[in-house]
Amino acid sequence: MADTWADRLSRKAGYDERSAAILILPVFVVLMVVALYPIIYSFYTSLFDIVLTRPWRRPFVGFGNYARIFQDPMFWVAVQRTTVYTVVTVSITTVFALFVALLLNEAFPGRRLLSALILLPWATPSIVNGLMWKWIYDPGYGLLNGILVQIGLLESYTVWLGNPDRTLFMIANAAIWKQMPLAAILLLVSMKAIPQDLYRAATVDGANVFQRFWHVTLPALKPGLMLVLVYETMISIRHFDLFLIMTQGGPGDASYTLSWQIYVETFRNLKFGIGAALSYLLAIATFVLSYLFIRGFGSKS
Amino acid sequence: MARIRLDGITKRYGSVTALQRLDLDIRDREFMVFLGPSGCGKTTTLNIIAGLEEISDGDIWFDDRRVTFIPPHQREIAMVFQSYALYPQKSVYENIAFGLRLRKVDEATIDAKVRAAASQLEIEHLLDRKPQQLSGGQRQRVALGRALVRQPTVFLMDEPLSNLDAALRVSMRALIKKLHIAMGTTFVYVTHDQAEALTLADRITVMRDGVVQQLDTPDAIYNRPANRFVAGFLGSPQMNFVEGEIAEGPDGPAFARGALRIPVDPAVAAGQGGRKVVLGLRAEDAVIAEGGPLKGQVALISPLGSEQHVHVATGDSELVVRAPKDQRVALGETIALAFDPARLHLFDAANDQRLGPQT
Amino acid sequence: MSVEPVTGMASDGGRSAMMWRRGLRALIITVFSLLLVIYVAGPVAWLVSSSLQSESDITAVPPNWLPPKVTFDNFEAIFAPPKREVTYETRRQGDPATGRFLPSGAENLLPSLWNSFAVGMAVAILNLVVSMTAAYAIAVIHFKGRRAALYTILVTRVIPDIALIVPLFLVMRQLDLVNTRFALVVTYLAVTVPFTIFILISYFEQIPRDLYRAARADGCSHWQALRFVYLPLSLPALVASVMFAFLTSWNEFIFALILTQNITSQTLPIIISGFVMDFTTSFSFINAAGVIAIVPPVVLAMMFERYIVSGLTAGAVKG
Repeated sequence: MADTWADRLSRKAGYDERSAAILILPVFVVLMVVALYPIIYSFYTSLFDIVLTRPWRRPFVGFGNYARIFQDPMFWVAVQRTTVYTVVTVSITTVFALFVALLLNEAFPGRRLLSALILLPWATPSIVNGLMWKWIYDPGYGLLNGILVQIGLLESYTVWLGNPDRTLFMIANAAIWKQMPLAAILLLVSMKAIPQDLYRAATVDGANVFQRFWHVTLPALKPGLMLVLVYETMISIRHFDLFLIMTQGGPGDASYTLSWQIYVETFRNLKFGIGAALSYLLAIATFVLSYLFIRGFGSKS
Repeated sequence: MARIRLDGITKRYGSVTALQRLDLDIRDREFMVFLGPSGCGKTTTLNIIAGLEEISDGDIWFDDRRVTFIPPHQREIAMVFQSYALYPQKSVYENIAFGLRLRKVDEATIDAKVRAAASQLEIEHLLDRKPQQLSGGQRQRVALGRALVRQPTVFLMDEPLSNLDAALRVSMRALIKKLHIAMGTTFVYVTHDQAEALTLADRITVMRDGVVQQLDTPDAIYNRPANRFVAGFLGSPQMNFVEGEIAEGPDGPAFARGALRIPVDPAVAAGQGGRKVVLGLRAEDAVIAEGGPLKGQVALISPLGSEQHVHVATGDSELVVRAPKDQRVALGETIALAFDPARLHLFDAANDQRLGPQT
Repeated sequence: MSVEPVTGMASDGGRSAMMWRRGLRALIITVFSLLLVIYVAGPVAWLVSSSLQSESDITAVPPNWLPPKVTFDNFEAIFAPPKREVTYETRRQGDPATGRFLPSGAENLLPSLWNSFAVGMAVAILNLVVSMTAAYAIAVIHFKGRRAALYTILVTRVIPDIALIVPLFLVMRQLDLVNTRFALVVTYLAVTVPFTIFILISYFEQIPRDLYRAARADGCSHWQALRFVYLPLSLPALVASVMFAFLTSWNEFIFALILTQNITSQTLPIIISGFVMDFTTSFSFINAAGVIAIVPPVVLAMMFERYIVSGLTAGAVKG
């Protein structure tokens, strides 16, 4: 009746544990090499002053890189640009997605077709998205100019992307176009889970369309909205592809976001230490924001 | 066909201990029922016998084989669930055949066994259907068929009838009992329904908060409950409880509460003067009769068709009594109750234990 | 017969008011649907239309909505490119209004298309295998440390990709894997697996636990339970995962940019971005390249729309 050492081992790591270990192994191998190691190494790099133009000297600076970043005026420019961009993109995407979800929630002929069509922007590669809108915004031959002038809203062809006041918003527009469908679908599914009885009760109580939306639909959507907001924020904050294709940080520093700064510092100025430090700051910001959202909405993701 | 022995089983979930040094002996071929309220640990124990939950400490034995570390798919068990748990994408035939296929039994044998089980359960006409197309009772039969067909060492059932309506439950109970006799296998059945337990079991294990309260035949559990909890859990309507103490008197010991005096069995209560006890009396053990020792007023009458339950207020307690449907009783009327003193139960007020001849 | 309204644009009031409301509802829905269709499909339609126009048509002011003369020249250039270098001489010779300005890298488009495809398929399949086993272990086997395992997996996606590029490049160089498609496949696996595992876990957790217990009691090992119970019931989530993995690989840009320098392994987005940067490239050609890049993912998305939606949102409903 006494346990042998093999038995004691089995009590700790029985059939279940062994199976789980085997099943998870592939994932961990892949992630270890391709993700975890670079993450740690990247943090390690951020603690050194590494500039590739003088690779022989790489002094340890602790958090010196981080300090330098905070003192760099371009950093704050980047923060401002990123903030504006993210706020605009996330808020408009979410509101837009909400309306689309409301529409798709109704039953009408052709709804299935519309739902499928919605996926078009989601499936579009970001590169194509960028070039597509860049072409539409073209100051010489673009569609936007063409339409506006034909309608009469505009006198003559103007510059869109190249106008520093408008740059961020034009890029945001492209991003919103691509991201809205997924957000709409996520919200739609949450909507479908709302029990019919709640609407019936509200109608009996005398609520009209808007009141039903405000008191029944919206509260029930909290978890869905939170998911959408967190996800959208996470990806908007680190958008890079569009910026590379459309404006490359310009004109001037009109679209100089944090992601762009990371790219410039790492690959053009070759300051790897600074680049790594910036990346970690961005990661922390994303983390904190997500946490705040989740706490703010009071439900688990 | 196996004797199951649970030896010092302890199950911890983090800081919560669900089972503490549980010892249990299930005889070969018997129909054992685990009975108790939700959360008492009966399903956990069943899962442990199945091997679906790991044990923090202790051992399980099937006959002479120590199965503690053997995973469920090697224990030769069969299991039936409250939710039926039929594979939705498989037909009824495939559902039943699944276990045999896993064991690489040849097609011809599978076909023979599946059809035999189906005919025993009267579901041959359903073999090509999918579970979604069946009613609750039919689904449960399929689940039984799935278990039946493998001739397992142990047949485990986790509240299989709880999702069925009342009439169906009764007929299924009979079916399960017949299966047990036909198969001659050890059955372990979990339920919170005491009527089910009494009908089906060879022996019942009453559990509460992970501790075995009593392990005995239905008759013993019903008529000689080991403690107040068991006494109250079995029997419908619930046993009447009155608190009081033993008073020694010229005619022998008696139960005393206020002015009430009820003589009790001297073999149990002699020399216990002053001891605080709880008196137990089942509703069916009392009769409304002229000149009975217990007097009270009718507070409520609940007609049930086949009988009536009469609530009688006596002193400051209220007792429920079963009366024949024809007996005329009026609200507020003063009536007398008579009973057989041998049918009285006494429990220690402090530890709820039954007062037996030894005390 | 009024359809049961879900957001509650229901009718209340008298009969004629009801009719009026119904008409109003139909009108609003129609208008908004049309607007939505234009918004969603418009830009892409314009992309396609532009790709079918010749250089002169495309540079017309005001722009031609539909190609006045449909020309497949651009696509022809992609699929059977005349090997003509765009040098200073040839450009001067070409008439800007009618000439074709084919970037010198035009013939790279097809190979890169194939690369994107191969990488995408490899990632999709490997992702499925790796994710479903891990998801099963975490969702079904309640082992100690499952929560830690899940958090570790998810945390790998917190750091922005740009941060990982340099160390990743160094690792690949160490393993002598720079400029290989294999490097891309492994990288994309690491990038997509956390999300697909998350989807699969949400889906697996919705499958009744009794079904699992029944399968184990019937005689299934963990592997068999995964194969016979969880997989058949998770089809939407599996499709969503495969689609997501393929799409992400197909669209991915940054990693490919850094990890691959030559055409043996460069993927479509890289080649296309090259064209866009070179402003001597004709607009219609760029649009044509864009059309090619957009076709596979769109076709796949349309084909599997139903699965994608239900697979992605199994967990979202629960909250």
